[in-house]
Amino acid sequence: MSKATETAVHPVPAAASPLDAPFPTKRMLVNLGPSHPAMHGTVRAVVELDGEAVHAMKLDIGFLHRGFEKSCENVTWTQVFPYTDRLNYVSSIMNNVGYALAVEKLAGLQVPERAQYLRVITSELHRMCDHLTLISAMGLELGAMTVLIYGMEARDLIWDRLTELCGARLTSNYARVGGVSRDVPPGWNEKVLRILDRTEALRVEIDRLLTRNRIVIDRTRGTGVVSREDAIDYGFTGPCLRASGVSYDVRKASPYLVYDRLDFDVPVGSNGDNFDRYLMRMEEMKQSDRIVRQCFDQMQPGAIAADDSRYVLPPKPEVYGSIEGAMAHFKIIMEGIKVPAGEAYAYVEAANGELGFYAVSDGSGRPYKLGVRAPGWNMLMALPQMMEGKLLADLIPTFDTINMIGGEVEQ
Amino acid sequence: MAEETKPADAAPPKPAPPPGPPPPRNPGLVTFTIDGREAVVKPGTNLIEAAASVGVSIPYYCYQKRLSIAANCRMCLVEMSNAPGGKLMPACQMTAAEGVSVRTDSPKVKEQQRATLEFLLVNHPVDCPICDQSGECKLQDYYMQYNATASRLDVPKVKLQKRVKLGALVVLDQERCILCTRCVRFMSEIRKNPQLGVDNRGSHSVIATAPGLPLDDRYSGNVVDLCPVGALTSTDFRFRGRVWFLSSARSLCTGCARGCNVFLDYMRDGVYRYRPRENDLVNQEWMCDEGRLSYKPFNDARVLAARVGRSNVPRAQAVAEAARLLRAHAGQGTLALLASPVASLEDLLAAALVARDGLKLSEIYVGGRPDGWHDDFLRRADQNPNRAGLALVAKAFGLAVKSASDLADAVASGKVKGVWAVGAELPAPALASALGKAEALVVQATNEGDLAAAATVLLPASPAPESDGTFVNFEGRAQRVELAYWPRGESLPHWGLSAEIGRALGLVSRWASARQLFEDLGRRVADQLPGYAWNSLPSVDRRKGLIPLAAGTVDGRLPGQRERMPLDQSGNVQWTRLPSSREETP
Repeated sequence: MSKATETAVHPVPAAASPLDAPFPTKRMLVNLGPSHPAMHGTVRAVVELDGEAVHAMKLDIGFLHRGFEKSCENVTWTQVFPYTDRLNYVSSIMNNVGYALAVEKLAGLQVPERAQYLRVITSELHRMCDHLTLISAMGLELGAMTVLIYGMEARDLIWDRLTELCGARLTSNYARVGGVSRDVPPGWNEKVLRILDRTEALRVEIDRLLTRNRIVIDRTRGTGVVSREDAIDYGFTGPCLRASGVSYDVRKASPYLVYDRLDFDVPVGSNGDNFDRYLMRMEEMKQSDRIVRQCFDQMQPGAIAADDSRYVLPPKPEVYGSIEGAMAHFKIIMEGIKVPAGEAYAYVEAANGELGFYAVSDGSGRPYKLGVRAPGWNMLMALPQMMEGKLLADLIPTFDTINMIGGEVEQ
Repeated sequence: MAEETKPADAAPPKPAPPPGPPPPRNPGLVTFTIDGREAVVKPGTNLIEAAASVGVSIPYYCYQKRLSIAANCRMCLVEMSNAPGGKLMPACQMTAAEGVSVRTDSPKVKEQQRATLEFLLVNHPVDCPICDQSGECKLQDYYMQYNATASRLDVPKVKLQKRVKLGALVVLDQERCILCTRCVRFMSEIRKNPQLGVDNRGSHSVIATAPGLPLDDRYSGNVVDLCPVGALTSTDFRFRGRVWFLSSARSLCTGCARGCNVFLDYMRDGVYRYRPRENDLVNQEWMCDEGRLSYKPFNDARVLAARVGRSNVPRAQAVAEAARLLRAHAGQGTLALLASPVASLEDLLAAALVARDGLKLSEIYVGGRPDGWHDDFLRRADQNPNRAGLALVAKAFGLAVKSASDLADAVASGKVKGVWAVGAELPAPALASALGKAEALVVQATNEGDLAAAATVLLPASPAPESDGTFVNFEGRAQRVELAYWPRGESLPHWGLSAEIGRALGLVSRWASARQLFEDLGRRVADQLPGYAWNSLPSVDRRKGLIPLAAGTVDGRLPGQRERMPLDQSGNVQWTRLPSSREETP
């Protein structure tokens, strides 16, 4: 912000007539956040304003820093799962799955098919939650309160189903190394299909409210533009990259779980502006809906966790009824699973883009090192460049559509 | 009839003798490969030790390097290139041979290890939740490492006795026993006192004593340590604590002048047990039962608050009163120092310095515990861990050594009217009442007792686990103990109390820790302690703050209690304690 002190007062340009005389203004420093309703999570933006235009901008993050990576070194491999819930807390299961894939890659563990389907179903449901949250919040901040109400109804319908599955709305802690923590309760599939119908209806309603809305179009079209080249240079992934015209989706580029058996499309935008980023999310929700329905058709009954007591807790009857089970349980709980020494990087397509876990094991029961590639980080870091010279009012929808989540960016 | 004649050259040629071992590649040593790694070892080294020398670990239960080879657990079977018919061979029994190739990781060996464990677990009860060994059990360790498959047993397990009291210190659970016979071999080979044997046959075999005879050897506790599973447990430690909550400190048994090396297992500020720590020069890896139980006074009947007369007072007030009394009697020449050889070298150095420079004393009366039983194995008659250290300190400070009964005489004759006792242990109970006749009796005591009860001023002292320190054993071998937890209650180590008294007498106290004290005063005795370094225990700085879990612990197990903070009764950290008692790492 040193520019501000250099030229505190603008030079007054020569006016054509006294009536056109520009008002000499000072640059103004405005603190947006950290506790501002439009600054999701807790993030502070120091914006230097030249009139209404953003002259420069600095981001101050770290309010949600928890030392995630370091904390993980002090707990067993399994105890890391609840920590990953707190990364992108709107879609926690995708974090669980990403981390589980990294550990399974190290361990060379095969996950049963049903568990893979369950991971995909829950991931895609959470992707819908994530996008619904974004669109609702964007609607709210652009003045469309109704969208928030509809969006929250849909999101809560999904969260209620996930609560039935894993016992928590937000911090699901659902995946495990080698599988998932529990199978679906009776009648769950049908319930999910019913709420998918209702969610679709709500999505259509939101679509009709927003997509052709004059105000929304004016606020989002042509604002927060990122070119294809810039998006790649900044390291964008996910919907923000695709909105700029790059067709890159981890689910297609490097299929994991059972995504290669599922039929779905990857929407790609062309303008890289806020409106395109919004459209990406609307379309991806449709695709997620398709994926979940296909999974229900393809999924067969079976085991939900690998049958390997080096990595997976044995079933309770074995724990209480046999010494082998009791020992395996004891060792896994007390010392953690012994993941072979080595390092692995596993990545998934999370709601915001490529979520990567880099795990290093020294063969002990705890991670030696864990690194996270949080997708939101790159978009957030590009925000000051995206906003330079743009209107302050454009900052709000831009901040919305890059979907910064403090939990994952600040770890 | 044609005469059958055998042509002389028709005899079938004798089969060529098997090729002898190749000439050694390294003369005087045996060179062979194990899992592809070349190992060079002395002739006669067994494969387990040879493999360990190149970083290959072979699992075993019955093998123990100080006991004879039993080769009955079958856990250490390996593939050897010279084995007849490719048979698997027990690594504990086979010695390394020139040019042989050994595999410990082939599918055949892996399958054998898995199968062995399956058999060992066939009759094993589901006891982990109630078993004291849980957390340090070789069955658990090896199951996860070498088996990790579910039970295939569909018949009932053999039921045996769950609680056979073999002796005062040892309880046997017959169901958990894997019959490795380490305990049997220890009793007959190390102790030459074969009180244990194996009764019955097959899956009904059990470890037993002769009918009607208890396991009453004075070293019986070692069989508990030797037992690789939870079959033999200690009556003293049984059900008192889960081992994963315990932390370990490297310490010494202070029960006699031998100074057996031990791991002191503690939780919060309580000692739970001693486990012998290996030291070939002192105790190999054994200790006596009495020494094993000698930690109890660290926990019970402690003096935790200062007293003047019969009333509890803050320690500072008691120290001031003690200094006043000592100064008065020192001025009249009627003061005497009684030092206990149970205290550490640092304690005695500090006391001697204060006695000589602050109180102008020239004599030191030696208290300490009376002599006890002894044998020709480990136990010494002298039950004081630091008598040799006391002699060194007295010599270094030019103090004449006299006995506690001399002091009693001097008190009775009125020559001595004030006594400063560093340590309240006395060789005879009657001495306490004799010393109690002194006008002023300043006692630094770790535990309640006759002398503590007779004290005019009583100062709470901390025993060995609550400070770093040095003990000199009967051979003159100086050994370190390490601080396990901070001093309990108001207590301070003797050296801390002596320093406070010295400060009250006008001396300059220079030590914030036992380390600083040793660096300062230890020079005076250093020439008597050849080869001794304070830092002979590795990684003494590990206790700073929260221990990072990845850093491990002194005994290689997972850490139990993670904080080493001085805690008060309600578990709050006493921050004021930290600067003075925490050790500075250089």
